[in-house]
Amino acid sequence: MEDEFGIPTAPLVTARFADFVERDARARGTPLRFGFPPYPVMGMSRDVLRQYVEGSDPITAQPLMQEVIEALTQPLTEREKHPTFVRKPRRPRLLSADTAENLHRQFVENGWTDGLPIVLPTEERVAEMLTGTDHDRDEIVGRMLITTHQEKMEYTVEKVAAIAVMAGARPEHFPVILALAASQEPSMPSSTTSWGRMMVVNGPIRNEIGMNCGTAALSPFNLANSVIGRAWTLMSINFGDARAGENFMATFGHNLNYNNMCFGENEELSAFEPFHVQKGFRPDESVVSIFRGWNMLNFGLGPAKEMAHVIATFGAMMPTITFVVDPLVSKNLRAEGFKSKQDTCKWIVENSKVPAGHFWEGQMQAGMAMQLARQGIEPFASWAKLPKDALIAPRHSFADVNILVVGGETNPMWITTDFAYTRSVSIDKWRPKCGIRRDARPLRMPAPVTCKDGTCGIPETVPSTEPELAPAQNVTVRN
Amino acid sequence: MEQNGKLTVLDPHGQPSGIFGRRLDAQSNPRAILDPAEQPSGELKRISMAPRAGTLDGKTVYLVETGFAGSVEFMEEVQAWFSRNMPSVKTVLRHKRGTMFTDDPDLWGEIKSDGGDAVVLGVGG
Repeated sequence: MEDEFGIPTAPLVTARFADFVERDARARGTPLRFGFPPYPVMGMSRDVLRQYVEGSDPITAQPLMQEVIEALTQPLTEREKHPTFVRKPRRPRLLSADTAENLHRQFVENGWTDGLPIVLPTEERVAEMLTGTDHDRDEIVGRMLITTHQEKMEYTVEKVAAIAVMAGARPEHFPVILALAASQEPSMPSSTTSWGRMMVVNGPIRNEIGMNCGTAALSPFNLANSVIGRAWTLMSINFGDARAGENFMATFGHNLNYNNMCFGENEELSAFEPFHVQKGFRPDESVVSIFRGWNMLNFGLGPAKEMAHVIATFGAMMPTITFVVDPLVSKNLRAEGFKSKQDTCKWIVENSKVPAGHFWEGQMQAGMAMQLARQGIEPFASWAKLPKDALIAPRHSFADVNILVVGGETNPMWITTDFAYTRSVSIDKWRPKCGIRRDARPLRMPAPVTCKDGTCGIPETVPSTEPELAPAQNVTVRN
Repeated sequence: MEQNGKLTVLDPHGQPSGIFGRRLDAQSNPRAILDPAEQPSGELKRISMAPRAGTLDGKTVYLVETGFAGSVEFMEEVQAWFSRNMPSVKTVLRHKRGTMFTDDPDLWGEIKSDGGDAVVLGVGG
């Protein structure tokens, strides 16, 4: 408005974000005249809001409305007439220190890690990681940032290799990590609401690199699942330029930010087509698909009717739902008569209606959806006119509901998440033409034991040749 | 690798690109806020501030509500403040189209063509 339309403007931003917007404006060379009412505004009574307006700006201690009037009337200063950009300096390629310990310290103290130990990205290790792809080390993979409007950070194949080394990955994992980097989506987008992420790998690469799609796939029992998920976080910290409180504003953060629910879909045991095929990829392509949300709402057992019942219970939440289901659930759904995941999702959407009043009671809807309703945007405008007890389907498209199949068939259960699918990226572009670059002896954690013969992987008892331990001497036990 | 008695490693941090994000268009999918493919971006454009008139007496001030929860009520209180304290100022309360994350150039153009002299935009955050 100031520039293109020549209209003096006084932007008001709550005081909690004063540093954030001031810093952003400086970086852009845009010295806007902000006023800062107290925080929060949402949910405050009229009396409180009136006090905010009549009171002082907590940052400047000046009366808020006096600031507004001055912002709109006082002549421009020389600095405002001639703003300058604050350019970030180019980064060096190499860093140095006298000892490895001090290099570790440098990484931790600069906020380049997730707080856990890393593998230092020496030139030798990065060179080895680069054997995991045919792409040139200087090729630009993308740009990323955890906010939507600040300066994006650019990264090359070599930078992604440095991140992969830090995460503890091997060259065989590198194509998946490059595909994640190519998504240009940070795993930790900045939102005060504290987002979490989920990523699922489909296609042949899951088995080539030993990903876990079965028992305990979402727990820390698999190297590939662990290091790939972690690499996305380290990318987001370093390529997304994440700094807590400065540009990462999540009020309490999210524990999923450590690993991003990284797993492979269990295509072998699923009764439905793989997720990437649903998205138009060939079954023999390797693809990573990513999701964004907040919560795991509950776990459930039972048929599609129960799944619809659960998401109706969460009728006032955001409209997207992703079910993470054990393969047994997919088989049960097929037995119920659903031919595909899409069939199931369509039925669930049509059978999870909620009273309009329940929908509008949610704060999320009071904010975003009501704003759209006021502008006449459907279906929200019509829903806002309905009586409270009229039934509506908050997930108004079956594309808002997803099903992912993972697990080892130890329980026919599903978990409900409010995760939304954001995109899928092909991994094959990044894999070497000669095939995945595997170590001579690939590093693997113990695979989940599959009990097929009643032994559950327990070796037969062999009589011990060791002498029995003598009772402990000189030990006094007191009660 | 050791160079001159020092250990060296690669800097993991991304390089500044000179490319900044911009607000989404009003028509964009509300969920596009975090999809880089749907977000406009470009090189930084120098923004000039509008000249100030020195007074608001007899002027029209548009109060534009951003869409954050509570901002309608807050801007209504700003409007009431003008009525009580600066009755010579005409105020017009408008809702920004789209969500709190989107730009609304149609509204800015409308304010300009309808003779708006100044804008208070709030409340963010």
